[in-house]
Amino acid sequence: MIRDLKRVRNIGISAHIDSGKTTLTERILFYTNRIHKINEVRGKDGTGAVMDSMELEKERGITIASAATHCEWDNHAVNIIDTPGHVDFTVEVERSLRVLDGVVLILCSVSGVQSQSITVDQQMKRYEVPCIAFVNKCDRSGANPLKVCNQLKEKLGHNSVMLQLPIGLEDKHEGIIDLVKMKAYYFEGDNGEEMVEAQIPAELQGDADAAREEMLDAVSLFSEELTDAVLEEAEITEEMIMSAVRTGTIAREMTPVFLGSAYKNKAVQPLLNAVIDYLPCPLDIKNEAIDLDNDEEAVILESDFDKPAVALAFKLEDGQYGQLTYIRVYQGCVKKGDTLINARDHKKVKIGRLIRMHSNQTEDVDAVPAGHIGAMFGIDCASGDTFVSPDVNYSMMAMHVMDPVISLSITPKDNKAQINMSKALNRFTKEDPTFKTYVDHETGDTIIQGMGELHLEVYVERMKREYSAEVATGQPRVAYRETITRKAPFNYTHKKQTGGAGQFGRVAGFMEPTEEEFEFVNKITGGRIPTQYIPACEKGFVGCLVKGPSLEFPVTGIKVTLEDGAYHAVDSSEMAFQSAARGGFLEAYNKAKPVIMEPIMKVVIETPNEFQGACMGLINQRRGIIQGSQEEGVMSVIESQVPLSDMFGFSTVLRSATQGKAQFTMEFSSYKQAPLSVAEEIAKKKAEEKAAKNK
Amino acid sequence: MLKNDLILRSPAEKTIGAENITNGQFGAVLSRAGVGKTGFLVQIALTRLLCDEKVLHISLCDTIEKITIRYNEGYTSLVESIGYVDAQIAEHLWDEIQHHKTGIAYSQSTFSVNKIRDYLDSFKGADITLPTLMIIDGLDFDTDLSGMLSDLKQLQEDFGLCTWFSMKSHREEPLKRNGYPVQLENYDMLFEWAVFLVPEENKIQATVLKDGDRTDQKFLLDPATLMPAEE
Repeated sequence: MIRDLKRVRNIGISAHIDSGKTTLTERILFYTNRIHKINEVRGKDGTGAVMDSMELEKERGITIASAATHCEWDNHAVNIIDTPGHVDFTVEVERSLRVLDGVVLILCSVSGVQSQSITVDQQMKRYEVPCIAFVNKCDRSGANPLKVCNQLKEKLGHNSVMLQLPIGLEDKHEGIIDLVKMKAYYFEGDNGEEMVEAQIPAELQGDADAAREEMLDAVSLFSEELTDAVLEEAEITEEMIMSAVRTGTIAREMTPVFLGSAYKNKAVQPLLNAVIDYLPCPLDIKNEAIDLDNDEEAVILESDFDKPAVALAFKLEDGQYGQLTYIRVYQGCVKKGDTLINARDHKKVKIGRLIRMHSNQTEDVDAVPAGHIGAMFGIDCASGDTFVSPDVNYSMMAMHVMDPVISLSITPKDNKAQINMSKALNRFTKEDPTFKTYVDHETGDTIIQGMGELHLEVYVERMKREYSAEVATGQPRVAYRETITRKAPFNYTHKKQTGGAGQFGRVAGFMEPTEEEFEFVNKITGGRIPTQYIPACEKGFVGCLVKGPSLEFPVTGIKVTLEDGAYHAVDSSEMAFQSAARGGFLEAYNKAKPVIMEPIMKVVIETPNEFQGACMGLINQRRGIIQGSQEEGVMSVIESQVPLSDMFGFSTVLRSATQGKAQFTMEFSSYKQAPLSVAEEIAKKKAEEKAAKNK
Repeated sequence: MLKNDLILRSPAEKTIGAENITNGQFGAVLSRAGVGKTGFLVQIALTRLLCDEKVLHISLCDTIEKITIRYNEGYTSLVESIGYVDAQIAEHLWDEIQHHKTGIAYSQSTFSVNKIRDYLDSFKGADITLPTLMIIDGLDFDTDLSGMLSDLKQLQEDFGLCTWFSMKSHREEPLKRNGYPVQLENYDMLFEWAVFLVPEENKIQATVLKDGDRTDQKFLLDPATLMPAEE
């Protein structure tokens, strides 16, 4: 492995679905000689792109799990994580961004900045990942890279600066003009592998001069040397410009914009050069961990191979030889034969086999040094675990993980499926923190939970394909919650005398709504309830939150204030006060006007203009609130908030209403009180279910 | 309670009267560029949102993000004009009413009455309460709009809406004899209400050009917030 970290790049490729991420990655692998034949996504040869290693991904033409791959370009090691574009899988995007040093943000030159680009951009901001932009599909009808560059400014607030100009657009797209070198580049050969440098076409010279001047204006902000040279009209070298662009990019204060067409093999090599020239190496990025032995104080990790090793497991996969754990090493060196500690459970793990990945092919290595991405075989761990040398006790910061909003009951079709399903669920929950599973003890059903219908659908499919676990699925269920809307008092005495030691405890106070999940305030004075029983009271209240008294949804947003109480010297116990708290909760809960909260999703539809009215109608029919709709060229973008319960099957309805020309993304927005009619409907259903159970 | 207080503070209420805003007719806010037509239209819309009615805001000049920012600013100005208001209560109220506003951004060339009709039809189809007020901001009244305005008139009759427009006047154009900018004069018959905003020293003067009782009344507004200025 390259040990000079200045020659290492860990990059991600992020974008809206269908912007051409996988196509671009495939080209990169081809030009860096990792593959010798280009396969298209949903290719006619039925092979599918190399980066889509999962069968399902190949079939659907979408990239579900991040496939990591390694390649070399211009004497630099480039580790690429191909990230999924669908919002349902954003945990994958987030995990990738956590371990990457830079991102290539792909934008479609026709559709421009789309909703998913905005989500990805927010994630990049959260993890402070520098990026360069690639405006792809310049060969498409309606291509307008300049418009996209402006959208980066207007919609995402980037200081986007074009470093290239197109030579022709749409079907006349031939190549690019490099505004740093002031040369034209064409891409010849069967797969565009020959990059031919030429003079800028005379008819474009004026445009190129003007664009270069504009670029220099923007870039000179990041270099005094360049500013001086511009002001003094001295010679401006390529190095000066490149150094200024690199400084601005790494500081996340500018986004250089490149363009081309991956599908038509145009301008992928200059993009690779840009990855090397402008995206940061591991040494440019500050990485922090928390020291668990030192009050969780932040510690800066150094890419020093001799320091104790710190590595983050960011992705798990089932490989031929057991679990494959993808790691990013932040400090020290993870070597074959080393013993590391999993900071989560302090279990020792011995590193058996270390590999470097090329999508679904592997290459054995002896060590993965700091700054590199690799994978370990046969280590039992969960995604997001930190591995450290025994002499430190660090943990990487926790990743931002959202709670699931939808659940589905699954029933294995036979005994064999039952065993395989357990194996699959065990793997999936380790791989994906937003995918959860549990057994409903009342019905005996296995329930899976996730971030959207498609998210769960994909896992059900994977169970079938990868684990031969055929399962029948129930109706998707929305994760409703309950909360209260007003203050209500309680004064409850728990008293039992049924032979033997009695039970006595009295609690009094009030409950009220709060923004927090749960708050407990102890205002007991004068020892009316002895201090040792206060935690038991809190435990009693917390226990009631798991299921609301009537509808049995989790209860949130309650603040309980304990003001008074009483105890008995002999009959009071922790158990008695827990029961008293439960009684107090039940007494106050119905008086506090409980309501049902339902998850509201942010739904963004992108549709050709002629279907705008129809799409807005679909949202209206689903209790949705249209926040806005904007026409952008031939497309309209409709932003709305829709209850999740009304979004089931939406993709089919949208397809038929728009001749399959519209697409939508959906992500969790917030919990909102369900309208009375809906709440009544839910209560009715719940009562029917209960009655059916009791039969 | 807060809703009523805010409505009473509104410059739209002061100049036009909240009851006149949705009276089933066309209204116009006129001024030259940059004086505050959109801001005033937003205040008109806010009075309806505060009455728990729905508003459809169509812009031919701003993006959706900008429209949203304008409403946020308008609401903040209104709240701040009262003096002390519990920030949490004000925020809750905003959360409650802002969802009743739908913004649609079109370009001049793609805007058509049929598109709005399609959209409003979907309300009827889904049996949902229709908006009572439609704002159309950015229509070019220097061009011939007679066909479009008559279609809009029909639309507002069909759906029981009231429509308010922004109308850009020009500094160099003299006012007509009745004090109307030429843009209003051209469509005089179609408009029931009109307010003309003119910068006046360090204030903005809102003159009611058309509105039975209040015609020719003048009000001073703060140029930054468009709130009624201290006299």
